[in-house]
Amino acid sequence: MQAQRVDATSVWQRRLSDVVGYGTVLATLAMLFFFLVMPVSVIIGRAFYNNGEFTLRYFPLLFSNELLMSSIGNSLLIGLTTTIITTIVSFPLALINTKLDFRGKAILTGLLLVPMVMPPFVGAIGILRFFARRGSVNLGLMEIGWIDEPIDWLGPENMFWAVVILEVLHLYPIMYLNLSAALANVDPSVEEMATTLGVPKWKQYRDIVWPLARPGYFAGAIIVFIWALTDLGTPLLVGYHETIPVQIFNMITDVNENPVGYALVFLVILLTVSFFLISKLALGGKKYEMMAKGHVTQAQKRISFLATVGVYVFAGGVAILALIPHLAVVVTAFSDRWFMTVLPEFYTFEHFHQVFNTELSMIGIKNSFIFAGLSTVLDIILGLLIAYVIVRKLVPFPGLLDGLVMIPLALPGIVLAFGYVVTYTNTFLDPLNNPVPLLVIAYAIRRLPYMVRSAAAGLQQMSPSLEEASTTFGASRFHTLRKITVPLVMANLIAGALLCFSYAMLDVSDSLILAMKERFYPLTKAIYVLFLEQGTGELVASALGIIGMIILAACIMGASALLGKKMGELFRS
Amino acid sequence: MEVVFKSIYKRYGQTTAVHDLNLTIQRGALHFLLGPSGCGKTTTLRMLAGLEQPSEGQLFFDGKDVTFQPAVERGIGMVFQNYALWPHMTVYKNIEYGLKLRKLSNQEIKRRIDEVMDITRLTQYAERLPGQLSGGQQQRVALARALAIRPNVLLLDEPLSNLDAKLRMEMRDNILRIHKQTGITTVYVTHDQREALSMGSKISVMHVGRLIQTDDPRTLYKSPRTPFIASFIGETNLLTGKVKEWSDSESRIETPIGTFHSTVHSEVFKVGDTVALSLRPEAVMIDWHKTGQGENFFQASVEHLTYLGESEQFQLKTSDGKGLKVNFYHAPDHDFKDGDSIGCYIAADDVLVLPAQPDMGPGT
Repeated sequence: MQAQRVDATSVWQRRLSDVVGYGTVLATLAMLFFFLVMPVSVIIGRAFYNNGEFTLRYFPLLFSNELLMSSIGNSLLIGLTTTIITTIVSFPLALINTKLDFRGKAILTGLLLVPMVMPPFVGAIGILRFFARRGSVNLGLMEIGWIDEPIDWLGPENMFWAVVILEVLHLYPIMYLNLSAALANVDPSVEEMATTLGVPKWKQYRDIVWPLARPGYFAGAIIVFIWALTDLGTPLLVGYHETIPVQIFNMITDVNENPVGYALVFLVILLTVSFFLISKLALGGKKYEMMAKGHVTQAQKRISFLATVGVYVFAGGVAILALIPHLAVVVTAFSDRWFMTVLPEFYTFEHFHQVFNTELSMIGIKNSFIFAGLSTVLDIILGLLIAYVIVRKLVPFPGLLDGLVMIPLALPGIVLAFGYVVTYTNTFLDPLNNPVPLLVIAYAIRRLPYMVRSAAAGLQQMSPSLEEASTTFGASRFHTLRKITVPLVMANLIAGALLCFSYAMLDVSDSLILAMKERFYPLTKAIYVLFLEQGTGELVASALGIIGMIILAACIMGASALLGKKMGELFRS
Repeated sequence: MEVVFKSIYKRYGQTTAVHDLNLTIQRGALHFLLGPSGCGKTTTLRMLAGLEQPSEGQLFFDGKDVTFQPAVERGIGMVFQNYALWPHMTVYKNIEYGLKLRKLSNQEIKRRIDEVMDITRLTQYAERLPGQLSGGQQQRVALARALAIRPNVLLLDEPLSNLDAKLRMEMRDNILRIHKQTGITTVYVTHDQREALSMGSKISVMHVGRLIQTDDPRTLYKSPRTPFIASFIGETNLLTGKVKEWSDSESRIETPIGTFHSTVHSEVFKVGDTVALSLRPEAVMIDWHKTGQGENFFQASVEHLTYLGESEQFQLKTSDGKGLKVNFYHAPDHDFKDGDSIGCYIAADDVLVLPAQPDMGPGT
C-alpha cells in the first residue's frame, strides 16, 4: 500500500486553529485577572492604603462599631446554624438515596432537588405573608384555639430563625447531593469486606465509610456555610439588617466617604477564604483513591412497603416543607383582597395582568434572559477550555489555575459585586452608565466553578487515548476538541450550563448592586423593587416571582428531557 | 518503512523510562516489543507515534530524521490497548474520520472503507456504534481504522490484552493474515511472551527501560543473553556460581549444589567471576536409579508433584534449600512421594552460563 501524507493546506489550518486555541486560553486568563483577581486586590488595597499610605486605622473603627460587630456575629451564627441543620436533614436523605431502593425513588429524589433552584428571597415574600402578625399562621392557630394572641413570628428576636430556616430549605439539596456522591463513591466491597470480618454496621460507618466520605461532606458543608453567611436576598427581605451582607449592601453607596466598608469586605474575604482552607485542608482530610476496578454499583436494598411509607413521609415531608415558602408565594400571587382570613377568600389573575402590563417586570424578565444567557455561553466556552487545559495538563501549573477558578466558590457574590463597583466606577465599564458587561461577567465568573467542575468530570472519565487516536490521524488539537471531545462531554456541558443559567437567573447580590438604572434591572432586582412598592407591589412581586420560577422549572425540565437516559447510556465505553 | 531508534532516552522528571535505545525495525517486519509492565515498551511505541517526544536521541523513518515531527506528519496507524473507539460514532464514521482529514475524494474514502471493512470482516457492522459490538469486533474496528489511512507504520499497543483466551487465538491469526496481506511495517507491543513467541519473527525484549536483546523466538529461548530473559521467555531455574575453569568451548562452574560442566554461554567470563546458570525445567533429567555421581549430578528432595497427563512437574528442593522445577514429558511410572530424595542430571550443553545480575527476574 502507498503511504499517504497530509497535504500542506491542512498544516496551515492546524497552525491557525492552534493560534485560535492558545489565544482563547490567554483571553480566559486575562478575564480571570481583570474580573476576579483585580477587584479583590483593589478592595484589599483600599482597606490598607489611604492616599498611597499604608494604614491600619480602618480596622479599629470596624471593631469598635457595635452594629458591624453584631452583624458579623449574627452572620457567622447564621452560617453555622444553617450548616448544622442541613447536615442533620441531609444525612438521612443521602443514606436513603444511596442505600435503599423503592418505588418512585427517581421522582422523590428529583423532588428533593427542586428547592435548590427556587430563589430563597422569593420564598421570603411568601413567608412574610404567612407568618405576619395578622397572617395565615396566626389566624389559623387562633381559629383552632391554640393561641389567643397573635405571635410575632418575625419580630426582631425571631428574624434570625426565619433567615436560617429559609437558608436551610434552600441549601439542603447541596449538602444532600454532596453527601450522596460521597457515599456512592465508597466502593460497597470495602463495606462488604468489613462485614465478612464481623465488624458491626455502626463501626463500619465510623471507621470506613465516614473517613472515605469525609472530603465530600466538607466540600458541601463549606459551600452551605459560605452561602448562608453571605446571602444578601433573604435577610434583606426578611428585614434582618444586622447581618454582614446587608451592611455591605448599605455601605456601597457611600463607600467613598466611609472606608470602613473596605475593611469589612476585607474581613469577609479573610473569613471565607480561611474557612474554605480549613475545611479543605484540616477537616476534609486526605482524599483517598478508590482502588476498585470497573463499575461497582451500590447494592441497594429493596425495602418493604411499610418502610417505603416511612421514607416517603420523611423525604416527602422535607421536600414539601422546602416548597412551602414558594407555595405561599403562589397563594399570595393569586389572592384578591386578602384580609384576616387563613387563606384568601377570592382569587384573581389580576396581579399577573399587572406583571405583563408593568414595564419594570417585562424589562426584568427580558434582561435576565439576555444576561443569564450570555453569561452561560461565556461559561461554556471558558469552562470547557479551562477544564480541558487543567485535565490535560497543558499549562505549567494546572493546580494553580484550578485553584484560581475555584475562588468564586468561596468568594461571596456581594464581595465580587462590591469589588466591581469600586474598581470600575469612572471607567468605560462604569456600572452606573451601563452595567450589562459587568453583570454578564459577574454572573459568568461566579458560576464558572460549576461549569469547570462539570466539564472536568466528563473529561476525566474520558480516556485520553480517544483524543490521541484522533491525533495520530493528523487532527489538530482543536479539530479533535470539536469532533471528539465536545460530543463526548456534551452531557456534562449541558448539565453545567443549566446550573449556570438557573443560578444566573436567580442571582441577587450582583443584580441588586450592579444594576442601578431601571432599564438594566434583571428579574431579581425587579422583584425586589416591586416588593418595596406600596399598595399591591408585594402581590405583583409574588406574581413575577412565580413567573421566574416557571421559567426556571421549564429550563430544567427541558434539559432533563433533552438529556434523558439516552445520552447517559450512549456515552459509556 | 524502516524505523531506526538512535540513542533514544525518555525521562519523566527523575525516572528514566527509556534508556539509550538503539533499534532498527526492518521494512515490512512484524516486530515485537516484549517486556513486563513498566519496562518502557509503551513509551517507546508512543515516541514512535509522535505522542511523546524523546528527551534525547534521534528517530529515523527510512533514513529521514522525524524526531520532532508531529504525529500527524508521520503517517502512523495506531491500535490502542483500550481501542479508543469514539463511542459517539458508528463503525463507518470511526473509520472515515482519519480519511476525511486527508482530504481524499468521497469515492476514494468509500473505496478504502469498504476495503478495510472487508479485510477485517466488519462490513455488516458498518452502522453499529462501538458499544453495540463485542470485544473482538471492537478490536477489529480499531485495526480497520488504523489500516484505512494506509499508514507507513502500524502500531499495536497490547491489542489483545482485553480479549478472552479463545478470541485472542483467533485475533492472532487475523493479525498475522492482515500483516501478510498488507505488508505494512508493524510494531507490536505486548507483555505476553507466548503471544510474541508464537507470532513474531523478531522480538525485542525490554526490561526496566533498557533494550536487552533483539532476536528471533528460537534464539531468544535457546540463547538468552541475561538471566532475566531466560526466566521471562519460558521458565527456567537460575543458580548462582563461580567460574572454576574457563576455555572458549567449555567451562566448569562451582555452585552450592555441585560443580557444573557447561558448553554454552552468553559471553566470555574468566576464572573467579560470579555467574548465573540457567537450567531449563525440561532439560533437567531425573536420575531414576541414583547411580550417577560427579559433575552435573545433584541431589534434591521432592516437594510437590503435579501430574498433567502429557507431562509431570516436579517441584524439588535442592541441598541449599532453594526450589527447582523439572518438567517431564512422557515420564515413566514411578513411586516418588513428597519428601523422597531424588537424583538429577543435566547435560553440559543445557547448562547456560549467563552474567550474574541483580535483576535476576522471576525465579530467583
